[in-house]
Amino acid sequence: MSANHQGPSIEEESISRRSFLGGATTAGAVALSGLTLAPQSRAAPDAEHGGDAAPTTWFEGPDPAIPRIGLRWVFSATVFFADRVMINTMDSPAGRGYTSVGGGEIWGPRLQGRVLPHSGADYYKTTFSTYYMFQASDGALIFIHNRGTMRRFGAPYERGKPLLPPPAPPAKQDTVWTRFRATPVFTAPLGPHDWMNRTVFVANSQRQANPDHTVFSYYEVL
Amino acid sequence: MREFVVPKTDTKILGKVELEYAFRLVAHYDPPQDSRTPRGTFRYQDIVSGEVTGERINATVYPDSGGQYDTVRADHVRDVDAHFMLKADNGEWLYMEHVGYRRTDGYYRAIAYIETDLKGAYEWMNNTTFVVTAKESADQRDVVFHYYIAN
Repeated sequence: MSANHQGPSIEEESISRRSFLGGATTAGAVALSGLTLAPQSRAAPDAEHGGDAAPTTWFEGPDPAIPRIGLRWVFSATVFFADRVMINTMDSPAGRGYTSVGGGEIWGPRLQGRVLPHSGADYYKTTFSTYYMFQASDGALIFIHNRGTMRRFGAPYERGKPLLPPPAPPAKQDTVWTRFRATPVFTAPLGPHDWMNRTVFVANSQRQANPDHTVFSYYEVL
Repeated sequence: MREFVVPKTDTKILGKVELEYAFRLVAHYDPPQDSRTPRGTFRYQDIVSGEVTGERINATVYPDSGGQYDTVRADHVRDVDAHFMLKADNGEWLYMEHVGYRRTDGYYRAIAYIETDLKGAYEWMNNTTFVVTAKESADQRDVVFHYYIAN
């Protein structure tokens, strides 16, 4: 979560965060917020979760026999990091980084709450590995272990086009796109959040300025 | 616990993730061996062999290079933890790790992480997150994994 990923790029879409605070959240709110869906999007049956889910986007392989995978936005976390430290360990050119979690808020159709203040940190070494706690609006404590990868490219991803390496310095870096993907494993108490114990997630992460914070958009893998 | 005052922000973004199909792995396993442990049932299954096929890579699972080390939970979902090596048809090595769940219906969802030679043909897989779907055969001896790049 460190230093060098960029802010929102042209691919990112706008949504009203405020409309998802406090749990007043429906798929209709997503539609009203201006979120546009990819052509292959379709509503998925949502028997387990009631009707409060965002739409699913399905992705397919080159052959219809290949199982498709759906992604559905479930919640986002706005996280404010605090201390940033680098330990120059001997066995890695990158060293061990420490970036502590101050706090934050969680908003979206499937989970609302806050980041438990000062509950952990990112202890990264090349890739990141973050351990801290969420506290849902019902008080439940949810442990997040978030691993992630980061990689830079010359331009944002466009479906069907290869990703190219970033321009070599000292060339202009204006167009550099950082693909920053996080893959959390949650440990949630039995009860309404138990679905998080058996769901695979993938997230987009975007660092924001003024004040410095990071927005994670979490998708459920269907 | 120290408190934290969340600063007011006007962030209005929803970051996107798009999947792009990468390759498949047909993996062949020995029968599982279960042990009772304080954490539940530990389930070890040796990955005997496997074949990776796709437009961007063809490889085999290196024999005896690892296995799948699952925990069977109280709800019968398995926490999947697999580690093994691939050898590509150009001779390059890849380390593969799976983290995810095998649900009670035999379907998997997992994340895969790959590490490989910085100067090799598959360098693009480093620092790439793969989203994986899979289905186990009825005898639990064969699993077909499909890997999508999380772009």
